[in-house]
Amino acid sequence: MSSVSSVVEITRTRSWRNVDAVTYGPLYFLADFNIETLARLVGNSVLPGTETRMALAAPVMVQLASGSPGPEWSAVVWSQPDSSIASFRRAVTYEEPDADRAIEETREYAASIGRFARGTRATFVPTWVLPPWHRGYGPLDFRPGLGIAHLLARMNLALSDALRDEPNVFVLDAARWIASVGPRAWSDKLWFATKSPFTAAVFEQAASDLAAAIAGLNGGARRLVILDLDDVLWGGIVGEVGWQGLNLGGHDPAGEAFADFQRALKGLTRRGIQLAIASRNDEAVALEAIDRHPEMALRRADFAGWKINWTDKAQNVVDLLAEIGLGAESAVFIDDSASERARVGSAVPGVLVPDWPGDPSKYREALASLRCFDVPFITREDRARSGMYAAERTRRTSLSAAGDLQAWLESLDVVVTVESLTSATLDRATQLFNKTNQMNLATRRLANTELMAWTAADDHSVLTFRVADRFGDSGLTGLVGLEFEGPRARLVDFVLSCRVMGRNVEETLLHVAAAHARVRGAAELVAEFRPTSRNAPCLEFFRRSGFRAESDGRFVWGLSTRYERPPWVTVRDHSDVTRAGNPA
Amino acid sequence: MDRDQALRLVYDAIDVVNHQLPASRRLAKSLDTVIVGPYGSLDSLGLINFVITLEERVTDALTVPVELLDSTALIEEESPFRTVDTLTCFLETLDGPTAEDAEDAEVQP
Repeated sequence: MSSVSSVVEITRTRSWRNVDAVTYGPLYFLADFNIETLARLVGNSVLPGTETRMALAAPVMVQLASGSPGPEWSAVVWSQPDSSIASFRRAVTYEEPDADRAIEETREYAASIGRFARGTRATFVPTWVLPPWHRGYGPLDFRPGLGIAHLLARMNLALSDALRDEPNVFVLDAARWIASVGPRAWSDKLWFATKSPFTAAVFEQAASDLAAAIAGLNGGARRLVILDLDDVLWGGIVGEVGWQGLNLGGHDPAGEAFADFQRALKGLTRRGIQLAIASRNDEAVALEAIDRHPEMALRRADFAGWKINWTDKAQNVVDLLAEIGLGAESAVFIDDSASERARVGSAVPGVLVPDWPGDPSKYREALASLRCFDVPFITREDRARSGMYAAERTRRTSLSAAGDLQAWLESLDVVVTVESLTSATLDRATQLFNKTNQMNLATRRLANTELMAWTAADDHSVLTFRVADRFGDSGLTGLVGLEFEGPRARLVDFVLSCRVMGRNVEETLLHVAAAHARVRGAAELVAEFRPTSRNAPCLEFFRRSGFRAESDGRFVWGLSTRYERPPWVTVRDHSDVTRAGNPA
Repeated sequence: MDRDQALRLVYDAIDVVNHQLPASRRLAKSLDTVIVGPYGSLDSLGLINFVITLEERVTDALTVPVELLDSTALIEEESPFRTVDTLTCFLETLDGPTAEDAEDAEVQP
C-alpha cells in the first residue's frame, strides 16, 4: 500500500525529470481575422509558456500553401465561411445559391488543409459559424438549395467528411463556443475596431477546448472517475435508510437527477473512462444497494475498484490508484462534501477535484463540462475497457483461490498475438505510447503521425501485441520499437499496459523482440532504460529479465542465445518479419 | 452607480484581460493601476478587449446600453481610462433608467 505522503513526494519530484516534463509544442495560427486574443489566451493562461506564432496576413488558402513552420508545430486554421468559400460569399448576399459549387470549393479548401496538416504535429479546424443575428431567409433558411443556414451546415459536414482520413486533423465545433457564450459572442464593434469578430469569451472557450485537445494528444486525458456514493450516486445516506429508502429514479426530481447522473457516468465508461468508488460507508450495505436497487444504472461490474470503509478518503484514493495502476494525474475525484474535496485535493496532488454543485440537477452538466476526458481518438480497447477490468477482478480472485502463482500462470492459457504496426492499429498504439507509464522503457510521447513516420524508416520496426487469456481479451496492450544499427539491435520502446503486467507477457515481448532482431542479422539486443518518476517497475523487470546489466541503465542480450518464451504462453506471430521466416 | 459596484465591474474586466497577458504584465487590482498611458500594460488590442468587456458589464448592471469605446476618450489627456481610480469615478457618474424611462418602457407595444 502506498501512503498519502509518498504520493505527495512522487508528485513533487516529477518536474525535474525531462521525460516527465509536460511539453505541448508550439502553436501556429492561420486565420482570416485577428486571432491574436486566442493566441494570447493559449500562451499566457491555458497552456502557459507555449510558443505561439501568427501566419502572415494573407488569405487562408495562401497561408496554408506557405506550409507549416515545422513538424513539431501544431496549428489552428480558423476562417470565416464568406472569405474562404466564394460561392458562400455570394449566397450570403442573397445571390442565387450554387450549393454544389460551394461544396466543391469546401473540398478544395479541405484538401489544402490536409496537405498543410501533414507537416504539423496536429491541426485544429474550428467549424464555420454565422452571427446569430444573421437570419438569412427566415423561415426558408434551412430549405435545401436556398437557405444560407442549410448551406453552411452542408459545408461544415463536407469539410469534416473531407478531413476524416487525415489522422492529425481535428474539426472543432465552434457553434458550441458561440452557444455557450450567448448573445455576447459576437461583436461588430470589436470587428470594426480590431478585425476580430468574436469576443474574448468565445476565445476563452476555444482556448480551453484547444488545451484539452492538445493535452489529450500528449496522453494527458483523465481515465478514472472516483466517486462518493451518498448524495452523489443516490440521494440519502444508505447506512441510515437502507437501499430501499434511497432517493434514486422514480418520480422525484432529485431522484431522477441522480439516475440521470448515473447514466451519464455509464456513458463515460463506453469512452474508456473507468469508475471507482471512495465512500465512507459499510461496504456490505453499500454494495447491497448497488446490487439490488432497481433504479441503479451502475452495477458492481461497472466499477474498476472500490474502497468503501471508514478510512481517510485521501488514503482510499491513493490505494485505489495503486490497485488500478494509474497515477494521480489520471484521476478525477467527485464528492458532494467540500471538506472531503479539500482533503483529497491537498493530500493527493495531481488528482483533479472539480467544484461540485450542491443541486443534483446540475450533476450531469458538471460532469459533461469537464474537458479532461478529451482524447484524440476512441479505440476498440476503450469501448471494452470496463469489461476488461471486470475480467481482471475475476482473474485476481482466481489467483487468490489458486494460491500457487506458478500453477495460476500456467492455468491462464495466455495467447500473445504479434503484428507489425499498421494504420489500422496506429490509434491504439499511439494511445498506448502516450498513456503507459509503469512498464515503459523510454517513455517517448509521440503523435500518431510521428509514430508512423518513425516506423516507416527502413532501420526501424514496431511490433504490437494483443493479449488474451481464458478470462478475456485484453486487446492491444503491448508494443516494442526496434532500431537496427549494423550488428546491434536497439530496443527503443518497450511498452506494456499495466492491465496485463505480471502474466509473463513482459518476457514474451522480449522473446519476440530478440527473435526479430536475430532474423534481421543483429548479434545483440540493447535496451536503454530512461528513468521517469513512474517507470521503476520497468527497471525492476529488466534487472530480473536475464539481460546483462551494464552501466547507466543499459541491458544487453547476446543473440547467439535464444531468449526463451515462457512455455505456457502461446505466441501467434503475424508480423511482416514472420512472412519471411518464423522468428517466434 | 455606486462606487463599490463600479470598482467591482472594473476588476471583473481586469480579470478577463489578465488571462490574455503574461503573468509579469498583469494588471493589479488597485486604484492606482494605469490602464491607458506610457506605464500601462495594455496594447491597443488589450485595451479594446478591456473596454468592450467593461461596456458589457456596465450595460448589464445599469440595464441600459452604455457606450465606452470612444477612441478620443481613450487617448485624451483627461481620459477617464487613465487609472482604475479615474475609471471608477467616471462609472459612478453613470445612471440606470430613470422612473420616466421605466414608465415609457411599460407603454411600449
